[in-house]
Amino acid sequence: MKNVSRRRFLATTAAGTALLRAPALATAQAAELVMLGIWPFTGPFADVGPLLDRGMRLAIEEWGNKVLGRPIKYITRDSETKASAATRRMEEAIDSEGVKIVVGPWSSGVALACTEVSKRRKVFYYFSGGTEDIAGKRCHRYAFNWAASPYTAMHVVIDNYMKLNPTHKRWYLFVNDYAFGWSVEKYTREAGQRYGIEFAADRMPLGTREYSGFVSKAAAFKPDVLCLLNAGQDVIVSIREAHNFGLAPKVAIVNSWGIGTEDFLQLDPKTRENLWVGTNAYYGANTPVAKKMTEMYQAKYNAPPGYAPCAAYGMTRLTLRAIEKAKSAEPADIVRALENWETQDWPGRVWVNPKTHQTVRDYFLLRCKKSDQMKHQFDFADIVAVSGQPLMPDTINECKDIGAL
Amino acid sequence: MLEGRRGAVVRVALLLAAIVVLPLVVRPVVASEIWIFSIAAMALNLIFGYTGMLSFGQATFFGLAAYTAGLLMIHWQAPLLVVLAAGTLVGALAAALIGYVCIQRVGVYFIMLTFGFNQMFYFIAYKWTSLTGGDDGLPGIPRPPLALGPLGIRLDTSVRYYVFVAAVFLLAFYAMKRVVDSPLGVIFQSIRENPGRAAAVGYDVKRYKWLAFTIAGGFTGLAGVLYSMMFGIVPLESISWIISGDIVFMVLIGGIGNLYGPLLGAAAFKWLSETVSIVWERWPLILGVALVLVVLFLRGGLVEAFARLREATAGRGAEA
Amino acid sequence: MNLALLGGAVLNGLVTGMLYALMGVGLSLILGLLNIPNFAHGVLYAIGAYVLVSASKAFGFLGGAVAALAVVAVLGALIEWGGVRRLYRVHPDYILLLTFGLSLILTEAIILVWGPVGITFQPPALLAGAVDLGVTTYPKYRLLVMVVTGALVLACYLFVTRTRWGAIIRAGIEDKDMAAALGINIRRVFTLTFAAGTGLAGLGGALMAPVRGLLPTMGLDILPFAFVVVVLGGLGSLPGAILAGLLVGVVQSLMTAIWAPGADASVFALMTLGIIARPQGLLGQR
Repeated sequence: MKNVSRRRFLATTAAGTALLRAPALATAQAAELVMLGIWPFTGPFADVGPLLDRGMRLAIEEWGNKVLGRPIKYITRDSETKASAATRRMEEAIDSEGVKIVVGPWSSGVALACTEVSKRRKVFYYFSGGTEDIAGKRCHRYAFNWAASPYTAMHVVIDNYMKLNPTHKRWYLFVNDYAFGWSVEKYTREAGQRYGIEFAADRMPLGTREYSGFVSKAAAFKPDVLCLLNAGQDVIVSIREAHNFGLAPKVAIVNSWGIGTEDFLQLDPKTRENLWVGTNAYYGANTPVAKKMTEMYQAKYNAPPGYAPCAAYGMTRLTLRAIEKAKSAEPADIVRALENWETQDWPGRVWVNPKTHQTVRDYFLLRCKKSDQMKHQFDFADIVAVSGQPLMPDTINECKDIGAL
Repeated sequence: MLEGRRGAVVRVALLLAAIVVLPLVVRPVVASEIWIFSIAAMALNLIFGYTGMLSFGQATFFGLAAYTAGLLMIHWQAPLLVVLAAGTLVGALAAALIGYVCIQRVGVYFIMLTFGFNQMFYFIAYKWTSLTGGDDGLPGIPRPPLALGPLGIRLDTSVRYYVFVAAVFLLAFYAMKRVVDSPLGVIFQSIRENPGRAAAVGYDVKRYKWLAFTIAGGFTGLAGVLYSMMFGIVPLESISWIISGDIVFMVLIGGIGNLYGPLLGAAAFKWLSETVSIVWERWPLILGVALVLVVLFLRGGLVEAFARLREATAGRGAEA
Repeated sequence: MNLALLGGAVLNGLVTGMLYALMGVGLSLILGLLNIPNFAHGVLYAIGAYVLVSASKAFGFLGGAVAALAVVAVLGALIEWGGVRRLYRVHPDYILLLTFGLSLILTEAIILVWGPVGITFQPPALLAGAVDLGVTTYPKYRLLVMVVTGALVLACYLFVTRTRWGAIIRAGIEDKDMAAALGINIRRVFTLTFAAGTGLAGLGGALMAPVRGLLPTMGLDILPFAFVVVVLGGLGSLPGAILAGLLVGVVQSLMTAIWAPGADASVFALMTLGIIARPQGLLGQR
């Protein structure tokens, strides 16, 4: 075989690549502030990506598309819910677009990879998720968690559920087998100890489509509660399968870390019977910021927002406010502005713990309504409890040294 | 001009030039990946292009070595050279064991066995979360400095790591060239062309296939180790058959049976996935189309494409 | 493990097993006659499911299932005629790679047409809900799928072993040159067999859509298992594929009940053991 072709190949490749590779740093206006939303547009969370995009966009638009007089350039990258793809795309955006502010992704597992990138590259990183590690074992100065700590959240769910159903002592857990599932399972069991709850659990990968085996096992356990500690479509599939097998609605379903609204929209009223959802954000939240955001969102998209868009909105909004507060968009300054800040935002009162970068805020427990109790088409649930207690004790938090900037 | 001994010098010079130019043309991270996957693609080329065995499970060795390297670095702070050696060894050992079973069969069975083993290890890695981190991957992988006697060369920036990867690649390339140019290489090729004849001549075909498979496993393991240090994390994909498929692509598209083919394939594949994926999310469609076209019309891959182009233009030049 | 759990696991195993058998039969036909490992078998299963979702809006569930079978069979025929056919003289490896490339193209095509988001599809209202079987309650639709798939598999088996057409196919699998020499239009047999094999995959996808939901990558989930079934059963052996399919389905389901993390790996371990212990497969002859 002839090999002189290689020279030509190299030449054409070099030219072609140089053409295609936008010399972004050269042409990018120095005044522009680039914000990256790394969202899942393919993969198990493909339906959530567009929702997160909406939320972040809404916050930026509400801010007039500029901050500190600088226009905001909002870019997105597909996390694919894969650690390898997300980290690669995040690095690429940092290199070619000069990104210093990153929000996302959705999967806790991928977030743990992204936070390593943010630590190494010293970019500001905001995530909303159920893994305790972002503000725990893997904490560092540049990363923050917007969601309630899973410790607090699981306590809110169980404490308030047991108040209303004190005899429900047999819980079967479906746990997605990754960082998110592990954290929420750990604290579900911990919170349930006080009530003498007997737990049995099954772990399955995120994106499992075949839940029949697990539902059969759950049924054989004769539970009072089927507790879903899974995410994405797994929640919908589990709920439907539980109904298919006749397990629900006899047995209550508690979706402890749920999306809320967007899931409700996918389930018909029959499958929402006896469904309880713990969530970081429900559009019915009684705070001025939440109410306004719901109004704006509903006007644009004809449906109220669930956890995902509210989270993206909340994180972006707090970041922009922090930039204004610090009068600077440098990551180190945003970090200092957020730390120890007590303010009112989407969830109501928020306080950013400077030692762990965990947000202290309220978590919601919802109970779905029967169709005849719904006052309008989106009146899915009553808010049964809103609480930010108990706080995770410092002694069990694994973030011992959040490090320097 | 590229024939014969002088041709060999020119070829090597061009390769060195490519190594120097590449990080200026694409991001250093992508350039590193190109050489890493070139090593893995060369390995598959050895067993497929030269020995005629299509393995759809090279990620087994890539991933096993990556995880081994990662665990050694995290738990024992193993030095760089130890990690490289360990990964290569793990790749070769795993290939020796798995290969022994697989080469008992030929054709579809062989492919399915390599695929089956890949799946098995993938599922084990997926479920053994305490060891591998499961779907989240194994995080916290450092980049130990390169210790050469008293010197400790840090590799923490993308450019520095690129230089290291390129150096390792050159060594691997040289080793592969030695294998391919040796009598062993000739035996491998004779097995591909006509296993019956090779056996008739007196070669223990199964043993040579096993040897090729094991050598390829070692090279693939080396690539896996380099990959583990790229992003500070060993993702689950490292052992997934998606990577097995990617490596098959690279070899096909580059041109099988040619030493430089896998390099072209790796470059084309990584370049495509980097640049096109940002512009169009459905870029695997292009990959699929490219594969179909290569398989139907251009089984020699890019190497053949450019050879034909050269012949066509040379022909026209001669007429003019 | 109590009886209810065991009963549920066995039933689940039979449902999946019948599906695996169906996929295995289709794949085995193609592999046995044409010596092609059809890597596109998974994505064709997926396309069947998606066609059901779209077609059922106009033609109802039954019409949608028929449409799925038809569309995928035609697609299969086109693939054989347009691509696979050119590579018979070359090498089976290339046919595998062709089907691999096609699987990529078709998966992306699914995303382009139907979007990247997972879809859930409800079974027809008539078949919703569960039935009390004494030992355990079990969803009606799944029972139906099990029965229908079982009937299809049986029908394929009878077709191949008892009819004239089946005899032609079997002759082709045994010795295609001889069959051609005897005057059989072997090219047409190839195309039709490929279409039939892929059509079965499409139908399988359609039937399973209400059970598992749809995702563009759903084909990738089922493909490895289909191959395990064919390899374990014996290349080209339909009864082997059926037996292996049921075996794999039940083993996987029982493992889920006993030790879920090992369920998938155990299937591949089973295949490896099978090939080592009995290289020609359970019922294969080659």
